[in-house]
Amino acid sequence: MSTVHHDPATLPADDNVNAYTFCVELKGSQWFLQKGKMIAYYGTIDFNGIGHGRLDRLVRTSFHSPLHASDWVVAEGSGKMLLADRAFDVNSYDLEEGNLTIRSGNLLAFQPSLALKQSIVPGFLTLIGTGKFVAASNGPVVFVEPPIRVDPQALVGWADCPSPCHHYDHGYMTGLLGGLRAMTGLGGASGEEHQFEFVGAGTVLLQSSEALMAEQAVGTPPQQAGVPGGGASGAPTGRSGAPGLPGQLGDLQRRFGL
Amino acid sequence: MDSGSVSTRGPCSVHPWRGYFRSVAMFRLQGSKVLAVDMTQDAVKAKNGSMVAYDGEMAFKKLSGGGEGLRGMVTRRITGEQMTVMEVRGQGTCWFADRASEITLVGLQGDKLYVESSNFLAADAGLRTGTSFTGTRGASQGNGLFTTTIEGHGQAAIMSDGPAVVLRVSAQYPLTVDPGAYVAHQGNLRQSFQSGVTFRTLFGEGGGEAFQIRFEGDGLVYVQPSERNTIAGDV
Repeated sequence: MSTVHHDPATLPADDNVNAYTFCVELKGSQWFLQKGKMIAYYGTIDFNGIGHGRLDRLVRTSFHSPLHASDWVVAEGSGKMLLADRAFDVNSYDLEEGNLTIRSGNLLAFQPSLALKQSIVPGFLTLIGTGKFVAASNGPVVFVEPPIRVDPQALVGWADCPSPCHHYDHGYMTGLLGGLRAMTGLGGASGEEHQFEFVGAGTVLLQSSEALMAEQAVGTPPQQAGVPGGGASGAPTGRSGAPGLPGQLGDLQRRFGL
Repeated sequence: MDSGSVSTRGPCSVHPWRGYFRSVAMFRLQGSKVLAVDMTQDAVKAKNGSMVAYDGEMAFKKLSGGGEGLRGMVTRRITGEQMTVMEVRGQGTCWFADRASEITLVGLQGDKLYVESSNFLAADAGLRTGTSFTGTRGASQGNGLFTTTIEGHGQAAIMSDGPAVVLRVSAQYPLTVDPGAYVAHQGNLRQSFQSGVTFRTLFGEGGGEAFQIRFEGDGLVYVQPSERNTIAGDV
């Protein structure tokens, strides 16, 4: 039979078993792990929630995202642990004194030598420091360099470059017809009127499909003046697609107070 | 059927067992998501509706109760481990696939393969299939308390979401598996159910892997790089 049978001796250490499974070797060390991404392990490994008292010191130095604390656990012990996520492609990346921002659902695990922080962009996490992390993508990851505009669903993350901004195809969206198109989708909305735009130096990571993980409600950042998405204002309007621009038909509703 | 076309068909025509033993269907993978079976008047059991193409002469017959007789049928109905199976018999090649799932071939030499009925694709008709009680492992998987067994000499094909990783369990290396990623196991394995539920779990600060299956003994475990939704998926 051609199928490979793995045991702890043949499993790689901190490397891919195949394109969809990653093997982490623990030798008394610790890894941060997103809940439910462990599929199997050899050896003795403990999984403890971030709130576990004994881990306070570790959490204080490498985990700075209270909103995501309930999605993460710390794996510690010795053995080999297999990670996978929805049969997505998984890859490990090494950061050296770097920073990388990644969609929170795509990050599987990271070494505590990295510090996890919440990105100012909602739904994204930033890793700072030196170490290894494991991320999932639907289809292989493509690395591109700014300036570039990318589809929001294809964006996995970005490294070393400033946060992106929204880009709307205004020529297509404005005016009466544009408003109708945006509201109803009739008359040929291509679904690609909205992109993320990256400028500056760095690397942008894209996946080769538009399948995302269902976003988990993690709450909002503290309500504080000057904090984007702080819940103080900017509640979603419920309209899909691009937000209304002045002079667009879609604004009629709001003008009549509906 | 002209015998000339059979001789061009490769492995099946030169199968060493032919002549003095019953002929056995030859399983081979075409890519990783399509199973091709070469048959010479023999039969395979396959998941109902999983045939995608065939050449030669094939007859497809639905097997009520998975071909396990009245007792098997009743057992499957009672246990909820339902499996609609067809018997394919004929001469030629038949291709099977199901929802682009990855397929793994399992060779059985008299041992027993335990597989979830939803992960079963095809097996040599000479293999016995049945149901067995899994206890709490099944409950934690959300797949019911029973699982399908395949036993005998021959080949079987199982499906997984993403290519299955085959992990060997031996006396010195016991293995712990997430119930949602478990696909199948074979050999002489004891399984025990581990629960990491503590008072912390109640406060939403559990370890994320509250339910685990521990395998000890000697055998192989097949896991998939994806997790089914289990009742304890997020605890």
